[in-house]
Amino acid sequence: MTRNRWFAVVVLMLVCALGMTSCRDRKGGRRAGDNIGGEVGSGEAGSLATRPEGNLNILTSVKYDAVMFDYDSAQIRESERTKLEAVADYLKKNADVGVIIEGNCDERGSAEYNLALGERRALAARAYLIGLGIDGANLQTKSYGEERPVNPGHDESAWSVNRRDEFVFFKR
Amino acid sequence: MHHLLSTKILFSFFLLAASLECPAQVRVTKAASEVSFLDLSGFSAEGGSASGGKSGADNAPLSFRRTLESDLTRSGWFNLSGAGRAEFTVTGNVKQDGTRIIVRCEAYNTMTRERCCSKTYQDDDRGARALAHRVADDLIFAMTGQPGMAAAKIAMVGSRTGKKELYICDADGANLRQLTRDNAISLAPRWSPDGKQIVYTSYYRTQFPDVFLIELSTGARQCLADFPGLNSSAAFSPGGRELALILSKDGNPDLFIMDINGDRLTRLTYTKRAAEASPSWAPDGKQIVFVSDSSGTPQLYIIGREGGEPRRIAVGGSQNVDPDWGANGYIAYSSLIGGRFQLYVLNPATGEARQITGSDANYEDPSWAPDGRHIFCVRRQNYNSRIFIVDTLSASCINLFQESVKGDWFSPDCSGKYIKP
Repeated sequence: MTRNRWFAVVVLMLVCALGMTSCRDRKGGRRAGDNIGGEVGSGEAGSLATRPEGNLNILTSVKYDAVMFDYDSAQIRESERTKLEAVADYLKKNADVGVIIEGNCDERGSAEYNLALGERRALAARAYLIGLGIDGANLQTKSYGEERPVNPGHDESAWSVNRRDEFVFFKR
Repeated sequence: MHHLLSTKILFSFFLLAASLECPAQVRVTKAASEVSFLDLSGFSAEGGSASGGKSGADNAPLSFRRTLESDLTRSGWFNLSGAGRAEFTVTGNVKQDGTRIIVRCEAYNTMTRERCCSKTYQDDDRGARALAHRVADDLIFAMTGQPGMAAAKIAMVGSRTGKKELYICDADGANLRQLTRDNAISLAPRWSPDGKQIVYTSYYRTQFPDVFLIELSTGARQCLADFPGLNSSAAFSPGGRELALILSKDGNPDLFIMDINGDRLTRLTYTKRAAEASPSWAPDGKQIVFVSDSSGTPQLYIIGREGGEPRRIAVGGSQNVDPDWGANGYIAYSSLIGGRFQLYVLNPATGEARQITGSDANYEDPSWAPDGRHIFCVRRQNYNSRIFIVDTLSASCINLFQESVKGDWFSPDCSGKYIKP
C-alpha cells in the first residue's frame, strides 16, 4: 500500500472509531447497510494482517490490563478506553512489538457463537487501537470464545471477569 | 409389505406436522400406540462358548444378538417384550464359523406371515457389533420403511484429559475412542456426508483457531483454513464438495462457502457489526441456516447459497442457536426460554416450531440422527454436560453413555444424515 492510501485508511478508521461511540443501539434492530451491499468500512477496520510466521518471541514480562465487556456485547465501554490508550502508547514507543488481542467470553450460551463473539471483542479493540494511530499490521486477533475463563465460577462475579480482551505482546 | 406400520408412521408424522401448528408448549403425546410389538425370541445366537466365557465378555454371536436387540429397542419403533401379541416376528440365527460370524434373518408380519426381509450376512467376528448395527438398520427399514440410526457414529468433544479433544463412538455409546491428542483446544466436529472425514476447529498448530480435516482411515490431518483471525464452525455441504464456515479475515466474523480443495471462496454475509456462527446446510444444498447477532442477540437466519438478504426464522426465545438442518427438512436448534436452553424443531416452510425437551435441564447443540426421528444433544445439569439421545416422537431422552463414562461432553455430531437406506 502507498503512503497516501494508508493515510486514507487511518482517517477512515478514526471516523469509524468515533462512529462506534455513538453506535450503542445494537438492540435496536438491524441497521440499514448492515447487510449485503453495505459500504465497506463502517465498522470493520479493514482486512486482517497476515499472521506472523514461525515461533513468536512472546514478551511475557509486558503486561497490560484486560479490557472488560458487558454481557453479549463487543462494545468498548468508556471505562475501558484508558486501558487501550495505555496499550497504544506502549506500541508507539516500541515499533518492533506487535500484539495479539485475545477475545474471551463467559460460559453462557452457544460455544460456537461465543467463538465469533470473542473475535468481535478482539476486533473492537483492534479498531480502537487503529483509531489511536496503531498500524493494523502489528495487530493480530484471536478468539478463545468461552474456552479460557480466568475464573471457573458460575456466577456474575466470575462471568464479568471472563468477558475480556487480553493483550499478548511479541517481538516482531 | 409393511403397510400396517407405515400407516402408523404416517400417523406419527402427521402428529409431528400437526403439532408444528400448535403453540410451542404443546408436546406430541404419542406413546405406546405407535410402538409395535416385535417378537425376536425366534432369533438365536449359536456357537462359541455358550456362557460368553469366564470373564463375562460376550462371544461374537452373543454380542451380535444383544446389540441387535438394543438397536431395535433404541429405534423407538418396537417393543420387544410382547411375545404372543407381536405384530412383527424376526427369526433366524447368528453363528460363529472360525473367525467369521454368519447371520441369517427373516422378518415378517406375524398375522399375515407376509415376509418383508430375508437376508444373510457374514463378517469377521471382530465386527460383530458393527454387523448387528447394519442388520438392525436393514430390519427397521424393512418393517417401517424408515431409515435407522444404529450404524451411525457420533463425533464429539470431551474434556476428561483436562483439554478439549475429539472423540468418536457408535450411536449406542459403545466403542468410545479418542481421536485427537493435541493438548490444545479442539471444537465443533462435523462429519463429511460419507462418514469418512471430520472437519473441526483447533488451535493445535498455529495456536490460532484454524479449520482442519481428519481422514479417519489414515488419521491424516490437513489444515483447510488458517486465514488471519477466526476460522471456525466448518460444515460440509450435502454433496461433500464445499464447506460453509466462519472467517474473520475481512475484518469481521462472516459466513463463507469454500471449496473443499480451497480453490474458491465466496462471502455470503456482510454484517459489519455482527457475528455469524454455526452454519448448517439445507438437505438440497441450496440454503444455509446460521446464527447471527445482527439484531442484538444471537438468532437464526436462512440465506441462499449464492448470498442475498438473510431471512430470520425462530421468533420465540431470547436466543436461538446451534441449528442443525435435518435431511427430513426440519431444523433442530436450541432456544433460550426462561433462563434455560431447550431443543426445538422448526419447519422452515411454515416457520412453526415445536418444543422437544422438558425444562428439567439445559438441552443444547442438537444433531439429527439419520433416522430423522432422534436428535443427539448436550444435556447440561449442575454444570455437568453429557450427550443424550432425544426421541422427537416420544420425547424420551436417554444417556448416550453408561454412568461409568465420566467427564464432560460437548458438541455431538451424528454421521450419515444424508445416506439413503
